[in-house]
Amino acid sequence: MIVCVAVVGHQNNPLYIQSFTEADDALKLHHIVHCSLDVIDERVNNPSKTGTTLNEAFLGLLYPALNYKVYGYLTNTKVKFIMVTTDLDVRDTDVRSFFRKFHAAYVDAVSNPFHVPGKKITSRTFSESVTNIVRSYSFN
Amino acid sequence: MIGVGKMKLYSNVLDKPLSKGKQEVSLSAFALLFSELVQYNQTQVDNIAELERRLDDAGYAVGARVLELLCNRDKGNRRETRLLGILSFVHSTVWKVLFGKVADSLEKGTEHEDEYMISEKELLVNRFISIPKDMGTFNCGAFVAGIVKGVLDNAGFPAVVTAHFVPIEGQHRPRTTILIKFAHEVLKREARLSQ
Repeated sequence: MIVCVAVVGHQNNPLYIQSFTEADDALKLHHIVHCSLDVIDERVNNPSKTGTTLNEAFLGLLYPALNYKVYGYLTNTKVKFIMVTTDLDVRDTDVRSFFRKFHAAYVDAVSNPFHVPGKKITSRTFSESVTNIVRSYSFN
Repeated sequence: MIGVGKMKLYSNVLDKPLSKGKQEVSLSAFALLFSELVQYNQTQVDNIAELERRLDDAGYAVGARVLELLCNRDKGNRRETRLLGILSFVHSTVWKVLFGKVADSLEKGTEHEDEYMISEKELLVNRFISIPKDMGTFNCGAFVAGIVKGVLDNAGFPAVVTAHFVPIEGQHRPRTTILIKFAHEVLKREARLSQ
């Protein structure tokens, strides 16, 4: 199941981070998200020779650790979405559609005229829609 | 051929099927809202420059959000890194989303290397506005200039954007031009990328 999602701005400033476990290792999850930012930067700056010319938003598996996986997604405005999951057999298509819905919820949150770009996203509607999206993906 | 393709006219409005709604906003509603915006700002400021700056700021917020929205909807997912790329993006895609048509023309300035102009015969926002004589060269197109500035800034091309009236002989109403002046580092980066 998905344990953590995060939105990071284009200057690597955190915009939204939410963990979905009751255990108190939320800090560990924050740390994982932070480390995966480095991996994203590496992928963006040195495109692998085997990959296509970097037009892909979905970055795929960033790095697999022992008991969780981290997926990344980069929008055209350099805003990064990171998702940590403890499922070991997620399908690629599921993760892609998760990020698509997440992107739509993010655009809705940013379109709020009272949202200051660069500051944390404080919209309750956004948290609720993220929780709903995560919940609908927890049973794959 | 009268009657071919004629829609079924419903006598009772309650019988009409619920539609998803057109993806359009009524022009009069927008014109009313925009006129209120201008009037409200007019009461808060003392001079024209401040009014123009406020409209600019309002447009900037819109531009930032429009860019996020378009990046979400864009199927091809190309991030524009070249000057001409982002300019044609603004000129066609952004204009089409906002005003329903592409801008009239995109030109490169002749005097300076870093100036580009998007011209429009009549900006949609200015359609129902006539500037009183004592306001001089004030142009409510500053709102649209702010939108363009928001899009360019958030796409990584900082620029100074202003709106001007350009009188054309033979036409009663002058043409509106959005002048885009890119920051120095943008040109340096463009020169480096062109090699």
